[in-house]
Amino acid sequence: MLADWEGTTKGSVMSTTVNVAPAISISGLVKTFGSTRALDGLDLEVAVGEVHGFLGPNGAGKTVTIRVLLGLLRTDGGTARLLGGDPWVDAVELHRRIAYVPGDVNLWPNLSGGETIDLLARLRGGVDQRKRDDLVERLALDPRKKCRAYSKGNRQKVALIAGLASDAELLLLDEPTSGLDPLMESVFQDCILEATREGRTVLLSSHILAEVEKLCDRVTIIRQGRAVQSGTLDDLRSLTRTNITAATDRPIVGLDGLDGVHNVRFDEGHVHFDVDGAALDGAIRHLSSFGIHSLVSQPPTLEELFLRHYGDELAAMNGAERGVT
Amino acid sequence: MTTLATDVARMAEPDAGVSDDRPELRKSVAGTGLLVRFVLRRDRIRLLLWFAGIVGLVVVTAASIAGLYKTPEQLASYARTVRGNSALIVQAGPGYGLDNPTTGAVMMNELSVWTILAISLLSVFMMIRHTRAQEESEQAELIRAAPVGRHAPLAAALVATAIADLVVAAGCAATLIFYGLSATGSIAFGSSVFGAGLVFAGVAAVAAQAASGSRAALGLGSAVIGAAYVVRAIGDVGNGVLSWFSPIGWAQSIRAFADERWWVLVLPLFATATLVSIAVALQGRRDFGAGLTAQRPGAAAAGPRLSSPLGLAIRLQRASVVGWTVGLGLIAFFYGIVADQAESILEDNPEMKDFFAQLGQGSITDAFLSMSVLVMALMATGFTISSVLRLRAEEMAGRTDALLATPVERRRLGLSHLAVAIGGTVAIMTICGLLLGAGFALVSADAGQVVRMAVAAVVMVPAMLVFAGLAFALYGFSPRWSPIVWAAFVWALVAGMLASVLNLPDRVLDLSPFQHVPALPADSMAWPPVVALLAVAAALMALGLWALDRRDMS
Repeated sequence: MLADWEGTTKGSVMSTTVNVAPAISISGLVKTFGSTRALDGLDLEVAVGEVHGFLGPNGAGKTVTIRVLLGLLRTDGGTARLLGGDPWVDAVELHRRIAYVPGDVNLWPNLSGGETIDLLARLRGGVDQRKRDDLVERLALDPRKKCRAYSKGNRQKVALIAGLASDAELLLLDEPTSGLDPLMESVFQDCILEATREGRTVLLSSHILAEVEKLCDRVTIIRQGRAVQSGTLDDLRSLTRTNITAATDRPIVGLDGLDGVHNVRFDEGHVHFDVDGAALDGAIRHLSSFGIHSLVSQPPTLEELFLRHYGDELAAMNGAERGVT
Repeated sequence: MTTLATDVARMAEPDAGVSDDRPELRKSVAGTGLLVRFVLRRDRIRLLLWFAGIVGLVVVTAASIAGLYKTPEQLASYARTVRGNSALIVQAGPGYGLDNPTTGAVMMNELSVWTILAISLLSVFMMIRHTRAQEESEQAELIRAAPVGRHAPLAAALVATAIADLVVAAGCAATLIFYGLSATGSIAFGSSVFGAGLVFAGVAAVAAQAASGSRAALGLGSAVIGAAYVVRAIGDVGNGVLSWFSPIGWAQSIRAFADERWWVLVLPLFATATLVSIAVALQGRRDFGAGLTAQRPGAAAAGPRLSSPLGLAIRLQRASVVGWTVGLGLIAFFYGIVADQAESILEDNPEMKDFFAQLGQGSITDAFLSMSVLVMALMATGFTISSVLRLRAEEMAGRTDALLATPVERRRLGLSHLAVAIGGTVAIMTICGLLLGAGFALVSADAGQVVRMAVAAVVMVPAMLVFAGLAFALYGFSPRWSPIVWAAFVWALVAGMLASVLNLPDRVLDLSPFQHVPALPADSMAWPPVVALLAVAAALMALGLWALDRRDMS
């Protein structure tokens, strides 16, 4: 199923990127609040039809970026284009074509969930009753409850249904699943896959890496208001370190000295190290001169990509732990 | 039961009662001391405002009574007119001590019922906020998950509310002492206020357990306050028996400044202990976050009206418009009923007479009616401002983003609540005017008064809209700073109510929009100031829209 999905979306990306402007195009975006620079020259490009993962820890600037795209914040520098328009000037026209699901869902305490969904959908131009009822059922939401009485997860479902039941071309999802249980999380993933099959574009801000790995064609990692890495998951993996565990006939010498080799540790006749994508060939050649009799290589997970950008120390710790077990 | 009360009081001290022979109770209130500090810290600004409001009321009344009733003759004339007047007794209480009037007795007649009502509201609001409302927030589960006993949040809310009540009551007593009234009477008044606060904290503790949600609990607590007020009103005009069934009646029965009856204080203490133990028993029987009565479900789908920002604004503010209309309408009706007595009240008090005479050229009754219209307009401006500032509350609560992410212009969103504020203001003033007129028509047997008073009330609207405009303009620039409009409102209150007492220069008074509205029915109608006020209001609103389109949403 996953392969099938990849096939279709990749196809749609190929066919649409040729002559269509990107869904989101941000370059050099700056937004300051007083003396803090929330966005510090951010670049972000999302092609039509793709699911784009937007990764970063709390406070990195993900929500600020989305609020700029919604025309809620003015920018202090750089450019931002949304579906070919200016998110500030053309806000109202653009909002007919997008749906937004906030991470921190604040709803009117004395409205029921059903009323909230209908209100937001009507403001956007109408309710797709079939889709709405279907989503209410799939996400197991009781629409008669007052929003005051909903748990965080249920409030999030209300926002998700309101967003997904629309016919928006672009979905801006700001950590949409942080309150959902695993069962509902998988329903959510199905919904996103359906949305992409319908040709919609999704910007998914998240720090649930498994979700991003499963859903996203491309990801952008943001740190302190700046994009530090952007590309397909494969691109990113090749840019990062592979974890190698090997055993050789003769004791290894000189591995530490090689360029691109990190965190070399020895235990019980095994060597563990991380190696940059570009230095992989050289490192394996070096190893083979000592007679390799076992070799395990692990590609970097998204988690490691992420951690690499958020503190090499943490990554090292993670590696060391795996070395012991 | 009294043991329970002492236990509740002792919960604040984590190390007290070490040899307590009821360990399970002690365990159930573990962590209370910490929570009390947390509650007081969270509410520090709120409590400061309550304190300023209630003690401020006492200060203002004390100052104006000291200015208006200086001689024994003035006091006697006040007493003569008030004593037999059932409309005033219904409003203020039996008027203990007015047979031999002292400043203290007059003060109590003017002040005590309002102070008691205010502290009762303080208790109910604070209790519900830290019990049921707290349970509906996310932090509650964090607190419950910490080593905190099952009854600790309730105990902490009670202790903190009792502390707040005590401080406010002490402030009231100290104010009266400061104005030269007897210490005994002042302390008796303070104690009665404190006692009423405690009882309604107990009432709220029970309401918090019984109601289906925090709003319902708040409604239940407020309804009990209202019932207590009505029961004592009926008792006070009748033979007095019913007043013994009302906590507000108890508070007045202490007879501050009129041969105090200290033993009456036993009643609120006993009632509080009983209510608290009922609340504790009920709390043991219900689930966290659920009441004894089930929550009424809402609609599964939105009705046809809930499809625009205006529809939403109406829905969100509906209850508040109705509440203000009913509350102010009742007061207006009272004013109408007592209006024909104005002449006799003022007969022997030249200063009061001057005070009313400055309002216009008409008769004293008309001057009193004009004053009533002004008082209602000033109070209703509270609605006007808070209704416009609902925009701020919505934005601060993060509920504006979801709307603005749909194809809704900012100005449409801003205008939706502004429209409700304007419409609500017109509705409240029209109905208040009609009811004032209806009350006056009843006693004067002149049906023409109904329309006459309605017109007088509606003429106030342009001045009120200036405040709507100011609130909206401030909101347009900065939601954070928009509450500054309340300072302007306080200024209008001072200028409107206390101008003669404070002897302020005209130029300063003229800053209040209410100085410029023709004071119907005492004055004759004048269009230029009305049109000018409307123009100022419109300009401020336009400025707010201009700014709103240009700023970051927070």
